[in-house]
Amino acid sequence: MKVEYKIQDKFDFLIFVPLLLLLTIGLISIFSATVNHPTAYGNFQKQFFWVITSLVTFIVIYYMPQNLFRLIAWPSYIFSLILLIVVLVVGKTVYGAKSWLDFGGIGFQPSEFAKVGTMLALSSWLTHKKRDINNLKDISIALAIGFIPIMLILLEPDMGTAIVFMAITLIMIFWSGISLFSLFVVLSPGVVIFASLFGFGPLVFVLILIVLALIYFKKDIFTSLTVFILNLSSAFFFDFVFNLLKPHQQKRIESFLDPMADPLGSGYNALQAKVAIGSGGIFGKGFLQGNQTQLRFIPEQWTDFIYCVVGEEFGFIGSILVVILFSIIFIRLLNLAAYAKDEFSSLSVIGILTILFTHFVINIGMNVGITPVIGLPLPFVSYGGSSLLVNMALIGIAFNTYKNRREHT
Amino acid sequence: MTETFFGSKVRQRIVLFVIVGFSLTVSFNLFKMQILENPTYERKSEENSIKKIVKYAPRGVFYDRNGEVLVSNKPAFTLQITPADYKSNLTPMLENVMQEDSGYIVNVLNKYKTLSSTSPRRIKRDIDFQTLAWYEENQENLSGVNYIIETQRDYSFGVMGGHIFGYTKEISPAELAKKSEFYDLGDYIGSKGLEKTYETYLKGVKGYNLVLVDARQRVISRYLSGTEDITPVKGNDLLLTIDLETQKKAEELFIGKKGAVVAVEPKTGEILAFVSSPSFDLNSFSTVTSGKVWSDFVNDPDKPLFNRATMSIYPPGSTIKMLEALVGLQEGLLVPSTSISCPGGYQFGNRFFKCTHVHGTVDVEHSIEKSCNTYYYKLMLEIGLDRWAKYMKMFGFGNKTGVDISEESAGLVPSSEYYNRVYGPRGWTKGFLVSLGIGQGELSATPIQLAQYTSLLANFGETYKPHFVKGFYDQEGKLNEFTFEKMSVNIKREHFDIVRKGMYDVVNGAGTATWIRQPDVAIAGKTGTSQNPHGKDHALFIGFAPYDDPKIAVAVFVENVGFGSTHAAPIARDLIRTYLKLDKKKNQVDKTNIVGIN
Repeated sequence: MKVEYKIQDKFDFLIFVPLLLLLTIGLISIFSATVNHPTAYGNFQKQFFWVITSLVTFIVIYYMPQNLFRLIAWPSYIFSLILLIVVLVVGKTVYGAKSWLDFGGIGFQPSEFAKVGTMLALSSWLTHKKRDINNLKDISIALAIGFIPIMLILLEPDMGTAIVFMAITLIMIFWSGISLFSLFVVLSPGVVIFASLFGFGPLVFVLILIVLALIYFKKDIFTSLTVFILNLSSAFFFDFVFNLLKPHQQKRIESFLDPMADPLGSGYNALQAKVAIGSGGIFGKGFLQGNQTQLRFIPEQWTDFIYCVVGEEFGFIGSILVVILFSIIFIRLLNLAAYAKDEFSSLSVIGILTILFTHFVINIGMNVGITPVIGLPLPFVSYGGSSLLVNMALIGIAFNTYKNRREHT
Repeated sequence: MTETFFGSKVRQRIVLFVIVGFSLTVSFNLFKMQILENPTYERKSEENSIKKIVKYAPRGVFYDRNGEVLVSNKPAFTLQITPADYKSNLTPMLENVMQEDSGYIVNVLNKYKTLSSTSPRRIKRDIDFQTLAWYEENQENLSGVNYIIETQRDYSFGVMGGHIFGYTKEISPAELAKKSEFYDLGDYIGSKGLEKTYETYLKGVKGYNLVLVDARQRVISRYLSGTEDITPVKGNDLLLTIDLETQKKAEELFIGKKGAVVAVEPKTGEILAFVSSPSFDLNSFSTVTSGKVWSDFVNDPDKPLFNRATMSIYPPGSTIKMLEALVGLQEGLLVPSTSISCPGGYQFGNRFFKCTHVHGTVDVEHSIEKSCNTYYYKLMLEIGLDRWAKYMKMFGFGNKTGVDISEESAGLVPSSEYYNRVYGPRGWTKGFLVSLGIGQGELSATPIQLAQYTSLLANFGETYKPHFVKGFYDQEGKLNEFTFEKMSVNIKREHFDIVRKGMYDVVNGAGTATWIRQPDVAIAGKTGTSQNPHGKDHALFIGFAPYDDPKIAVAVFVENVGFGSTHAAPIARDLIRTYLKLDKKKNQVDKTNIVGIN
């Protein structure tokens, strides 16, 4: 028997209204950052077109049958991997990353599409009835599903997107009920690699911590030794890969660790972004009045540094509004994941939440200077067609889940 | 995390905590940056994007005593280089076009190393038309090169006045350290003459335009439509005491001669004309003076940069005799009728001091008229060295006059203390005094001291310290007059009458300069010859006119020509005629006659 639902039961306005506000703020900021720009003055119109297109896409996905996503999970994942390999061969290099495919003038990033594919594939794998998340084989395959695209994306190289994929993989495994020990096994190699970037001393220190943790978990000697050797070899493997990198790529990673060390190099944008936001004050300098923005102190501001425009021209009020709108969307998505009717839906929503939240953290963190400069757009606000299209598709999947959350119960 | 099942409550809470935690961290950071630290960021943001473009203020103009322009300003093109946009491969071509030696640009750029690479440096001032035309044609290939229009001194008003006006120079690092409040690297500052003395009035206030620049320092637009710009304030104009026509005449009279002339208004100490010859063309200093031009000036054996009018010190010769007569009268050693018999010289000890002629019986007045040495040999011995020195100082000798251009010598008035110091108490004799009595020996004076002395004679012992400037015009155009120190000599007026009569006789009686006698003006004066051990004697003449109401006092000094009467006196005569407009009046009369005939 079908129950009659009110519109708000089928459509989450608490996500949709903040979303429309963010899209509007994005369009206003892009207009401000590009209206006086010699080459980018057409970006507002382009973005406006993409907003309409992605809203249409969102509505189409919203009306799709729910089991469609489970069905297309694996085909879309395989297709993603093929595209990621193709882009490494015939892709166009933009800002040092071979990440763009060109379809007759329309640029497209396979890694954007791969987010959807990987998220759906992980949801499908992790929620299969026969899986045990704390079984080494099952968890290894889950990690592999995540890490194959990560490796391909690192080859472009696109550090930011790779981090998003790491987050997707880890958070989805986490949501699936991984035990603390298994989580430790999954996370520790990352910590070791990170420590090795700071030199030999920190590496040894972290390895000692890992030994202490292994003693705490009281696992058998074989398991403990395997985990330790896994960690040690990951450090050596990373060192080997690091030395294969070209000097400018190594420099990028070093700048990642200390962006302020080189104020006119890669850290320049970080400083200028802070100046733009900080000089905004409470109410901002006003629309089209931000001198940092209008005088183009921050290159390509309409993409990764769009938040500075908000900070400079609309001040603390505008900046905090963006944070609040995102927070509402994230908390609503978390709620949806908690109350979804099945695990696949729940985990996909967590995947969607992770993708959006990771972008938010890295982008806003970089703009206000609390995380290193890693190029990632701010969802719904930054300029960029394929990113917006994919993000709206993700929201479409989430809304589809929302619409169907009480069916069959 | 004990509950290890899908989407557990604990895991929900952890995710919620991460979302809220990060949002709060960002909010706190925004609060800190945009509210607490906002002033710091705002300042950084403005420094980032606002650039000052300095607008130099035109210097004050010099007017002569009648309001005629002596020195003004004219626009000049200055070539600039901005190192941030400049490519050094342009250097040889630029140097070639500017006709400068190779290395010139590198030198200039090195001088300004401390400035930001985005601020332009003045490479060459007053570039010529060919260079400018060449720049205009090749502009797009000359990135980092531009020109600005600046004001530059304009000396095209008929007077040279090199030693009066002086010049400006780029401020030296040492001066800059002391005056960093008002000056920046590359600014010009008065370096000599009136430009130096009155720098604070002349310099004006620099202005600037605020412009918005992008991250590459390219100008985007005016900041706030120029409402915050500071318009430069022109320096204060100075009203000089110089008389344009007299100055012109004086410079003309000294063409081809070495020496100096100073003409003063006796009642006020105002300098009417002032020449030190040879002089120099100030136009050579108005551009960036190249090393070659400079060394040419310095190595010139005639020393054109040396200000003879205030710095050359020579024995004043017979021109000093009036002073001694005044001392004799004032001290009661003489009465007007005190006479001696001049046998053509004076025997002192075993030495015979010659006189110019055998003058026979001479009194005070005639001793001046005829310039009788014998009279003054004797008188000097009666006055005595220290009393003489005291009066000499009273008349301004042995001390700088304090004229308002800084280079000046004090000259020397020997006293017994001086002789004791130089020769020892027993190393000198009274015989030294005999030479001093006729203004020779170790006595030395500058032409400007002689002019001051002449003013005192003309104006019965009262005048003001010699000076070039009456006052400055403030921004409303009101004249603010400067005051100068008064000078007075404590000698009775009746004594002045005697010596002034003697000076009148020099020109109008049977004296030493009768050939400059004028039908339309009574000139009083005194010739002198300054003995020169190194060559031909120097000619001196001091005088004033009109005799009964002196308007001008002149001291003329011509190097290495011999007697004062023939070489110095005519210069004084011509200046007097020019200043009193005697020739002009005649011309005007002629003109009216012509008009009348027509």
